[in-house]
Amino acid sequence: MDYIINVSGYILEGSVVTFQLYLITALFSVLLGIAGALGKISKIPLLNSFLAFYTWVFRGTPLLLQLFFAYYGLPVLGITLEPFPAAALTFTINYGAYFTEIFRGGIESIDNGQYEAAQVLGMNYRQTMSRIIIPQTVKRVLPATSNEAINLVKDSALVAVIGLGDLLRAAKVAVTRDFSIIPFIIAAVFYLVISSVIVNIFRRLENKYSVYE
Amino acid sequence: MIEAKNIYKSFAELEVLSDVSFTVNQGEVISVIGPSGSGKSTLLRCLIGLEEIDSGDIYIEGLSVKKAGRKAYQKMGMVFQGFNLFPHKTVLGNLIEAPIVVNDEDKKEVKKRSEALLEKVGLSDKKDAYPSQLSGGQKQRVAIARALAMQPDIMLFDEPTSSLDPELVGEVLTVIRDLADENITMMVVTHEMGFAQDVSDRVFFMDHGKIVSDSVPEKIFVNPESERIQSFLTKILSQN
Repeated sequence: MDYIINVSGYILEGSVVTFQLYLITALFSVLLGIAGALGKISKIPLLNSFLAFYTWVFRGTPLLLQLFFAYYGLPVLGITLEPFPAAALTFTINYGAYFTEIFRGGIESIDNGQYEAAQVLGMNYRQTMSRIIIPQTVKRVLPATSNEAINLVKDSALVAVIGLGDLLRAAKVAVTRDFSIIPFIIAAVFYLVISSVIVNIFRRLENKYSVYE
Repeated sequence: MIEAKNIYKSFAELEVLSDVSFTVNQGEVISVIGPSGSGKSTLLRCLIGLEEIDSGDIYIEGLSVKKAGRKAYQKMGMVFQGFNLFPHKTVLGNLIEAPIVVNDEDKKEVKKRSEALLEKVGLSDKKDAYPSQLSGGQKQRVAIARALAMQPDIMLFDEPTSSLDPELVGEVLTVIRDLADENITMMVVTHEMGFAQDVSDRVFFMDHGKIVSDSVPEKIFVNPESERIQSFLTKILSQN
């Protein structure tokens, strides 16, 4: 029992990095996704092509490759990043690409009549998007966003390969050090707890938004 | 007051409005009738800037839409065939949104005015309901109240009863009829001939992108002068 508590404490220390990475990625990738989606539906050809290229590359190549590229590849070009910034940057850009597509789809699913109603009431583009279109989009993209939020918990374990001391790496170190399988089981429990909390948050959000339609 | 001067509008190769000119005076109620595809809805959509006209000009309360842009549309409200209520807002929320966001009005004041409007359209008890909980007729009455909350001088109605079940048409027409008695300028695109005959000061009959007749209702409904109008009325009345 003492051993389990000790190892849990050790793994918990590692999970601090996981949490930091998670929160930073979640915040910035969602913002990037909103900006990307608004750019994709804009009528600026250059921006459209740039964003099409962006989502094509980052959704079409492995996240692990992107992580290697940022950490081991960029130094070749003279840009050296510490493991954590490299991971946070890669994850934000990668998830931003997925959110761009999810939010774009959500915005485009809103009926054109909503824009027309807003326009005849005198609303400008910013008011229409922020008061009418985006609030309705939030409800529609919640299920897909929830999926990504859970994926991110698990994908965060990839940072162990660039030497970042996250939850999984702490467990791996403990397994090697103590020659015991228990740290892996504890790590699995940690991941399950985090995922469950996230699922729960999204369920509450979906309930909150289910008051209409 | 609305003045349209030689307006043209095409979608790709198709000319939808062809040299349309007319004047609607303050407080007048105009019904716009005609076969489908004759340009009735496009005409309204051009008047409020949902479609851009290719040439000509429109003056709303003296302001040219070509020169004044958005400002010209401020005094105009519109009601759609498909209601287009904001589903994520309550009935009251739908009404107060634009006055607060667009006109920066005091929330308390707007709420009071909006509640009075809901009473006027008979929906006081629904103010906290969401649009999805309403019938089509109730939705359209909310949409009318929402447009009125912006205190327009001019109201445009684009087939306000066309997507309603027959038994719900009456309640919406009653609300529009009551408005017609006030000093609001109105243009109503409609297939309800009885309504057009009772309520209108003038009736525009449109065909192939032109207003082919602009006259008092009696003249159109009792003594239609052209064969085109006669055959249209016969067709539409035989459907009802």
